[in-house]
Amino acid sequence: MIFFFLLLNLTLVIKKLIFRTPLLYFLTLFLCVIIIFLSDCLMMMTLPSKALSQNQIVMLRNQCTWTDSEMLRSLPTFDRSTLYIKHFKKGSSYFSSSFSRIQKITMATLSTVSTDKDPVSSQNGSTQMTQQPFQVAKRLEKFKTTIFTQMSMLAIKYGAINLGQGFPNFDGPEFVKEAAIKAIKDGKNQYARGHGIPELNFAIADRFKKDTGLVVDPEKEVTVTSGCTEAISATMLGLINPGDEVILFAPFYDSYEATLSMAGAKIKGITLRPPDFAVPINELKSTISKNTRAILINTPHNPTGKMFTREELNIIAALCIENDVLVFTDEVYDKLAFELDHISLASLPGMYERTVTMNSLGKTFSLTGWKIGWAIAPPHLTWGVRQAHSFLTFATCTPMQWAATAALRAPDSYYLELKRDYMEKKQILVEGLKAVGFKVFPSSGTYFVVVDHTPFGLQNDIAFCEYLIKEVGVVAIPTSVFYLNPEDGKNLVRFTFCKDEGTLKAAVERMKEKLKKK
Amino acid sequence: MSMESKLSSVAKTTTPSPIQELSHLAQRCNAINLAEGFPDFPAPPHIKNAAISAINSDFNQYRHVQGICDNLANLMKEMHGLDVDPLTDIAICCGQSEAFAAAVFAIINPGDEVLLFDPAYETYEGCIRMAGGVPVYVALDPPCWTLDADKFMKSFTSSTKAVILNSPHNPTGKVFSKDELEIIAGACCTKDCLAITDEVYEHITFDSEKHISLASLPGMTNRTIITSSLSKTYGVTGWRVGWAIAPAFIASAIRNIHTKITDSAPAPFQEAALIALRSPPDYFESLKKEYELKRNYIVNLLAGVGFRIQFKPQGSFFLFAELPEDCLLSDVEYVKELIRQAGVVAVPGCGFFHSNLPSEELSKPCSSYQKRYIRFAFCKSHATLAAAAKKLVKLLDASGYLKLH
Repeated sequence: MIFFFLLLNLTLVIKKLIFRTPLLYFLTLFLCVIIIFLSDCLMMMTLPSKALSQNQIVMLRNQCTWTDSEMLRSLPTFDRSTLYIKHFKKGSSYFSSSFSRIQKITMATLSTVSTDKDPVSSQNGSTQMTQQPFQVAKRLEKFKTTIFTQMSMLAIKYGAINLGQGFPNFDGPEFVKEAAIKAIKDGKNQYARGHGIPELNFAIADRFKKDTGLVVDPEKEVTVTSGCTEAISATMLGLINPGDEVILFAPFYDSYEATLSMAGAKIKGITLRPPDFAVPINELKSTISKNTRAILINTPHNPTGKMFTREELNIIAALCIENDVLVFTDEVYDKLAFELDHISLASLPGMYERTVTMNSLGKTFSLTGWKIGWAIAPPHLTWGVRQAHSFLTFATCTPMQWAATAALRAPDSYYLELKRDYMEKKQILVEGLKAVGFKVFPSSGTYFVVVDHTPFGLQNDIAFCEYLIKEVGVVAIPTSVFYLNPEDGKNLVRFTFCKDEGTLKAAVERMKEKLKKK
Repeated sequence: MSMESKLSSVAKTTTPSPIQELSHLAQRCNAINLAEGFPDFPAPPHIKNAAISAINSDFNQYRHVQGICDNLANLMKEMHGLDVDPLTDIAICCGQSEAFAAAVFAIINPGDEVLLFDPAYETYEGCIRMAGGVPVYVALDPPCWTLDADKFMKSFTSSTKAVILNSPHNPTGKVFSKDELEIIAGACCTKDCLAITDEVYEHITFDSEKHISLASLPGMTNRTIITSSLSKTYGVTGWRVGWAIAPAFIASAIRNIHTKITDSAPAPFQEAALIALRSPPDYFESLKKEYELKRNYIVNLLAGVGFRIQFKPQGSFFLFAELPEDCLLSDVEYVKELIRQAGVVAVPGCGFFHSNLPSEELSKPCSSYQKRYIRFAFCKSHATLAAAAKKLVKLLDASGYLKLH
């Protein structure tokens, strides 16, 4: 940009001093613009030539997952590059075809969304970016690149009530916060033991025994991580080899696919479908085989709120034992089980020895930003998890571990009140959504509910969510981002009720007022 | 198939940390811990108070605190003259550890070679291998750990993707000089390689030695990922707030990967980071002075009892001391005896040395130096250092040298 302005000034000076005819002046200007364009071309092409790894390409491809924290992010790189390009687009249409090529190069390198079949070439001849053209449906192209930021900007711009973010707008219990403050004051601010402070490992083991009846060794079978997210990534990277087959149930929390890709796994998806998102047993039986390394289960389930039933878990257990398959379970919402009892797959006969059970503090204690999670597994599996964990984060936040120890010793009354509280909130939202005209699918657990938005006549989930923000002033999450095949989710959006009652009621009112069936 | 075979190949080839094992022995013997690199004195009160205030003000949900990026951008400009865009060039992570892991995953493909300087902090290799990369070590030459430009250049191949630079350096305390940085920068530019730096000890330098960031050298801004954290500068190694600073498209990649690894750094401590990063210049001045006093103390102490210290640390809070000339024990054996007899624990240097396979280095006689070094941490209160001195002094022989039996 600076170069551009300098040249412009230069041409103006030259014009004044030398040129007598406008023609010469404009020719010079034209030449300057070409020079600028070419140098920018060069810059665009050389910058990303060698840098991005396959992992990053996959990351970006999977960026079409609207993590709750994305809502708060600033503009991603791609936005700024396209803005930059737009400045030049204003210049001359002569360059438009070249600009769109730059755009494609930029897009291919930054967000891998080109639908162009031709490989993108880079100046150095590096083939890392050119091996396979990345394809994605047009609506995801838009979605992947800027929709999260656009949505969150829109939400702020339109003052929308946010029922999209999966974290509470109320805070955690005082006694836990005080425990953290005490830990800081007591000087517990240095590296904790890599796999967790002993007190917390013990507290986790105790709680697990209360919940499942299983007795585990806190020193050898419990690993503390930075949130359940890190438990998942450490499990994937520590136990999955490149090429291993792993089964996922779609829709799924966005980090699963991403970290499996980082581990080089071959992902096999089984889609759960409305209205009850039951496990398609026959499809599972035909997908699982002796070649399957692991299966990942999230119960209670984000985004649908489904809870795996005892029958489903029994079948899954039998298949895993028969085919010698590992199981990774994400049970962060286990204390938000409303309609059914939560069952840990590890507690079924023959399953503990092949299961990694993961959980965290965040959802149960409304302290999602503290990042205390854990993985419970038999020693031979814990070993792999701990290895990866030691390279990913080395150790987990010390003062919060002390606070978590206090939290996990909370009396049963805490959990009962938590449930009661959330059930009241759920009722407000579900009744409200039904009254507005959504088709609401039953949610047995978590603080999410998915609904069918098609009565309102919008093309797909993303279009609906945009409409909901702009015209109604409420934020929901389009679920297509949680599927391997986005088409599977185009009719569904996810609302959360982890908000105070006032917020929920206000959101319902807005929808009743402004959302009309077509 | 046995359960053990279910471990990934990475898990099978990694071994437990020798540092942690010795730590357990030290705990059992109630030894004075000069091994692990964290302070035993309190963190600065104004930073702790900021964290407490954040918890009380309900900054407890998933968070990205943009103000940290603004402050970091200012610091980078002041310290190194770097122009960093706070909106696009910074990723906040759970400690430098995670920033480094995410950076490696962002740029390393299976088969990519990564150059590291030996001796090296043990975790780098683990991250590189997890991403499928191949670590290639370039030995720094004792006794002053100098960079051999020839050796360095010869280590590049067509597969070399990146160079890792840790300066100020753990375990030697070396601060890479301007000349050495120019060699590294020149190589990165000529070979079109990237660099990942670990600058966690950036504010701990001595004798008016200045820490220079590799990214500030010509041609390096576009190809360097800087990683650092609050831990060492502010004495809060347990808070897990770190960052990566890189050209926008790499920073974006690191952010995406970080989101999948942990999603967010601990929220209240991000808030505290705002206060920490705005500390006045005299905070950093006194930090340097304090550590320099401790460095001088420990160098005098250990040199006085017979350790060979041919290289005084220029930065970090580690001293890499060579065993006394006549000592026949290996570093591991020596440390064990040091724990048992003197009640002082340090880290045997062998864990920091690596070999490339196949390696000509192993057959050379000078590679035996890899078993002759012990790392002492002096990020301890004066009382602790004095207590360590007292314990060592008890074992001195007639000529005033440390004698372990």
